[in-house]
Amino acid sequence: MDMNRDQSSKLSRRERLVEAIVDHTQIGEAMIRTLVHAFYAKVRRDTELGPIFEKAIGADWDAHLAKMCDFWSSVMLMSGRYKGNPMLAHMRQKTIAPKHFERWLEVFRETAVEVCPPEAAVAFELRAENIAKSLQLGMFYRPGATAAAHKAAPS
Amino acid sequence: MTYVVTEACIKCKYMDCVEVCPVDCFYEGENMLVIDPEVCIDCGVCEPECPAQAIKPDTEPGLERWLELNATFARRWPNITVKKEPPADAKAWDGVSDKFERFFSDKPGNGE
Repeated sequence: MDMNRDQSSKLSRRERLVEAIVDHTQIGEAMIRTLVHAFYAKVRRDTELGPIFEKAIGADWDAHLAKMCDFWSSVMLMSGRYKGNPMLAHMRQKTIAPKHFERWLEVFRETAVEVCPPEAAVAFELRAENIAKSLQLGMFYRPGATAAAHKAAPS
Repeated sequence: MTYVVTEACIKCKYMDCVEVCPVDCFYEGENMLVIDPEVCIDCGVCEPECPAQAIKPDTEPGLERWLELNATFARRWPNITVKKEPPADAKAWDGVSDKFERFFSDKPGNGE
């Protein structure tokens, strides 16, 4: 009995959190899809980012776009749909340099402003900035980061 | 920059965080969880999700020892990716002070 009550009160806690985000930003799965698709269309045309992504994604763009929709759904709407290790995925790409994160954020901001209402664009940008900063720290500025990548790699 | 699990988790261990973490970076001790700072991407989803308000960004002052503890035990404890039943007395320990000195256990949990 207590357990059931606990679980339902926690569920409604998460639902309330998500509701507040949605009320404030209007973010939903459709908006996430629009943003992700518009963003990666720009990325693929970008002279700096395009070649890196083409090399990493190859012929699997449909799968990558679906994965990125899941990722942003997990981050913005707490849906838990994405499970992965983006730190490791980025570390495997040896051609990525810090300047590419700057460019990535520039294109992301530009796209968010174009396809989202202002509150949503700000919310996406804040998350993207934190995540980009974290990936960069992990990749370039943390002692032992390379060791971590080796540890986590399948043997 | 990473998020870290702090004292408030001890003996509460609600585990709601593991359901929302997109990168599976939680590790399970006997009576608390920690975050692997090398895998956390700072998305911030877990912070408001924690009923005990135990998860903080390491940019907050005074969290150095917790960052160290998270880094240390993320290497020793098993990964946890699925929420389990919290301790029956979790609510009773929610908000209790000095839990680290009195109750912290370095023993691993069961993970999964």
